[in-house]
Amino acid sequence: MHEGIAVVLKAEQLGSVFGFPVTNSLVMGWILMAFLIGGAYLFGRSLKAVPGRLQAGVEWVFEGAIGYMADVLESETVARRFFPLVATMFIFIALINETEFFPGVGSIGLVRASGFLPLLRAPTTDLNFTLALAAIAFITIEVAGVTTLGFFKYAKKYVNLKSPTGFVVGIIELMSNLGRLISFSFRLFGNIFAGEVMILVVGFFIPYLLPAPLMIFEMFIGLVQALVFSMLTLFFIKLSIMEAHEEHEPRQAG
Amino acid sequence: MDQFFGAFGVEWPLLIAQAVNFAIVLAALWYFLYKPVMAMLAARQEQVAKSVREAEQIEELFSRADAEAETRVRAADTEAEQIVASAREAAAAAQVQLVKDAEARAARIAKDAEARAAEELARARKESEREVARLAVLAAEKIMRSHAS
Repeated sequence: MHEGIAVVLKAEQLGSVFGFPVTNSLVMGWILMAFLIGGAYLFGRSLKAVPGRLQAGVEWVFEGAIGYMADVLESETVARRFFPLVATMFIFIALINETEFFPGVGSIGLVRASGFLPLLRAPTTDLNFTLALAAIAFITIEVAGVTTLGFFKYAKKYVNLKSPTGFVVGIIELMSNLGRLISFSFRLFGNIFAGEVMILVVGFFIPYLLPAPLMIFEMFIGLVQALVFSMLTLFFIKLSIMEAHEEHEPRQAG
Repeated sequence: MDQFFGAFGVEWPLLIAQAVNFAIVLAALWYFLYKPVMAMLAARQEQVAKSVREAEQIEELFSRADAEAETRVRAADTEAEQIVASAREAAAAAQVQLVKDAEARAARIAKDAEARAAEELARARKESEREVARLAVLAAEKIMRSHAS
């Protein structure tokens, strides 16, 4: 019988290696990394000049993604520079979200005196992971802005002494930039974690029947969230490499 | 703030570990996946561009060969016509010559025959004159003999 719904907000610590805490989300992250890197290695090694179906599909996706990024960033070179980061974000997050409901994830674990301790937990339901990714996205966005525009031009976006309104807008812009750290991390964490909690609750009320279709829905949500995370990174990169709008500068329509 | 992040289990080592994980994935995918696929795509693009260029060259070559073949055929046609015409001319000339030769020969033969006939006639006449003379002598002899007897 159920002992009630146990919702654990944080990834549980399984033990520690050399004094470093090891949580169940880290373990799952390592397993997925191994699969991902192994798959990438095998795929990258099996590339042929005349592509098979899988290779053709991957190439099609790559070309489409780079084409789309080039459209957004208005530069093929810049798109190629940021493609690996954006693509990896999507692939890694999507893989984590799609394996979230694999049998065993969250259900295989150790029974301790303090309670059940699952061995695997989707990293996207661990704020450490989403915050780390948000930080990487944030740093990338800021660095992209500084390296593309130069430090002073980039700073001019946020520190505007020309007019009081401009100054306030700049400060708000700066705050919203920092806010991305929170919005990025909590959007992903919240969506995926909420999905898991919902499945848990629904499983408690209508077991067997309702969780399965909801899992499919949650897998879709997971894909969408992976897309949202990478797309937002892309758009913020675009925003940061654009020059600040001067008030009287003629602007092109569109 | 500490309490807030504590509730979510956010700790520096874990945060850094997750960031490192992502960095490793990024580096590995970059090295194993993006780079080879990009290189492949670039190579394919280059190949396609090359193929198109080559196809254009081949087409141009073809059209040039076509044109050349046409001019050659035309040249051969005119040459053949010339040859036929000259052959016809030569044949006509030869025919005329032949006829002329034949006529000449016929004339010569006729002349020969005439000459021979005349000669024959003369000889016959001479012979017959001789015969006549002999006969006349014989007749005279006979007459004289009968007169004598």
